[in-house]
Amino acid sequence: MKIVRTTGGPGRPWRAVAAGSLALLTLAACGSGGGGTSADGGLPQTIRIVSVNPETGPTSFAGLGAEEGYKVATKEINDTRFFGDSTLSVTYEDDKGEPVTAANKLSAAVSDRSVPAVFGSIATPSALAMSPIAQKAGLPIIYTQAGSDGVVVGDYTWRATPLMISFYPIMKKFVAEQGWKSLGIIYTTSSPTLIKIGSTVLPDLAKELGISVVGSVGTTPTTQDFSAPIAQILGAKPDGVAVIQTGASNVTAMTQLRQAGYTGPVLGNSGAGAGNLTPAGANGAGMVWPTDFSSLVSSPGSEKFSGLYRQMFGKEPTNYAAEAYDAAWFVARAIKAAGSTDRAKVKDAMVAAGKEPMSGALGDQLRWVDGTLQAPGVVVEWTGTAEKLLYNGKDV
Amino acid sequence: MQFIVQIATLGSIYLLFSLGLNLVWGSLGILNFAHGVTFVFAVYLTHLTLGVARLPFLVVLLLGAACGAVLTVLLQVLVFEPILRRSPSIHQAEMRILIGGLGFSTIPLAFMEHQTKNLPFGLDQGSFVVSPVVLGSFRATNIALYGIGLAVLLGLAIAVWLARSRGGLALRSLGVDAPVAGLMGIDRRRSALLAMALAGGLAGLAGVVYTYTLTALTPDSGDLLLVKAFAIVILGGVGSIAGAAVGSLVLAAAEVSVLTFTSGSWVDAVSFSLIFLMLVLRPVGLFGRKEVRRT
Repeated sequence: MKIVRTTGGPGRPWRAVAAGSLALLTLAACGSGGGGTSADGGLPQTIRIVSVNPETGPTSFAGLGAEEGYKVATKEINDTRFFGDSTLSVTYEDDKGEPVTAANKLSAAVSDRSVPAVFGSIATPSALAMSPIAQKAGLPIIYTQAGSDGVVVGDYTWRATPLMISFYPIMKKFVAEQGWKSLGIIYTTSSPTLIKIGSTVLPDLAKELGISVVGSVGTTPTTQDFSAPIAQILGAKPDGVAVIQTGASNVTAMTQLRQAGYTGPVLGNSGAGAGNLTPAGANGAGMVWPTDFSSLVSSPGSEKFSGLYRQMFGKEPTNYAAEAYDAAWFVARAIKAAGSTDRAKVKDAMVAAGKEPMSGALGDQLRWVDGTLQAPGVVVEWTGTAEKLLYNGKDV
Repeated sequence: MQFIVQIATLGSIYLLFSLGLNLVWGSLGILNFAHGVTFVFAVYLTHLTLGVARLPFLVVLLLGAACGAVLTVLLQVLVFEPILRRSPSIHQAEMRILIGGLGFSTIPLAFMEHQTKNLPFGLDQGSFVVSPVVLGSFRATNIALYGIGLAVLLGLAIAVWLARSRGGLALRSLGVDAPVAGLMGIDRRRSALLAMALAGGLAGLAGVVYTYTLTALTPDSGDLLLVKAFAIVILGGVGSIAGAAVGSLVLAAAEVSVLTFTSGSWVDAVSFSLIFLMLVLRPVGLFGRKEVRRT
């Protein structure tokens, strides 16, 4: 999972399952099935897609970032008359990062036959509640982020974010260049993905390079002060340190790591990106992490998206926006290929498109594997004020 | 030595935060669920002020405390007082106050979330710079030492004020029996406003120290601390300043020990097991007074 500040700590998945089950029962009672208003009538004047993402709550920074990507794509689609006389319209619904709210918003979209597809929530607990509903109701849904198992459950469910676990190994080149003999790891237990990176992916990577892991501490989501785990890790005198944390915790951990006297590079994760590390200032400099998108990458799709984004918002794009931009275009191409907003036809078009390579903001010739987009990723370093591109994963 | 410093640093933050919560809970019977948001919102307002004026540390501290105090007084006047006036019984008032505090807290929280998009914010625009203090093998930061000093000073000052001053005695008498205290001429409203302002001020102060310690907060940072503060108050005993101090140190010691000597993931289980044990073995807490029930 790549959500940098999870809304779902331990105990949340059952809520998602409960919310999903409740909404499924409601749908079953009301009757459901595929089909759209324009089953045989071509495209309607306005093609309306619903986005259900957190605009408020702890993960709103990622949800709002995704909405920016959808807005860039929507404007481009309409400006270029991609659908001819039809226009694309996106209705933005706030799920607050809450599974029950997400399930309710999706149920409303299911019952509105004019909606051919949904942009699903970036928050994993919400996505887990939404997927069974969308799959059963036959409503195509595409997520960004939401990196847990159980999100992509069939042909109607898609994810336009590569799993961080899939591209984290590109860090191997950077780690090898450091010449480290030992590594200390501080990782959060707030999400399955970050647990796996901290407890499995990084130790395996270290082992491959002949580096011994001399300390490993898992901090809970309630841990805000990292001086104790840092003292434990630095007590083992590692050559290198990895800090796998979410959002603001990266700021604190980096600052306290520098205050404790560690001056070397720090291995991180994309949770430090999207401006999260800014308050750390110079203390954040030297954190290095892999991400699926950087506006510094020179590929046609990335440059085009970054240019459109800057034009629209006047700032540098985030990975959340880039992933959403690609998700929107994937759905738009499927609707156009289907020539209809009929949900089953759109799904069939998505399945067909998923067999072909795709180019977009995340790179060129990207492939879909089991409904999830794959990308080579890039490795970036925080300089204290901005990200610096170190290398592209496809070159490793 | 380093281990002790870490416990003292974390414990001092916990104490500054829980002192105010404990004070109003013990004296006014108000369990203020907006205390966590007050803590963060005071920091956020200070953060906004620092965006236009580069202020020194002392002024930042006072500003944070003032923001917290004003917000809590507003909460008392706009929410808690009307609830108390309109509730037919104390029990119903307490329940409504819980909900009122929760409801009130959503307003500044929503505002901060909207403004920050939940990205972290800090107080780095001020002139104060957090720097390491190294003496041999001893290593701390200047803000950690300030925090410890403030917690000790304010904890002692409030304990003495409650024990010796007329205002403190009035507040304590409200905690024992509010109707009788009223009959004795104690102005409940005035005492309540004073207690709430003090609690909010302490929350704001704790917020500033905590933000400098962590470098940044997010709008929901106060919620995590609020849960710990409840645990501290239960552990130490509702209304006891000494209890809050000991509770803060015990919780900090438990957390730091687990994070220093184990793989870390048991930190919450160990810390909150202490609270559970206290509730089972001594429900009034370490320093809590036994409740007197009259028939």
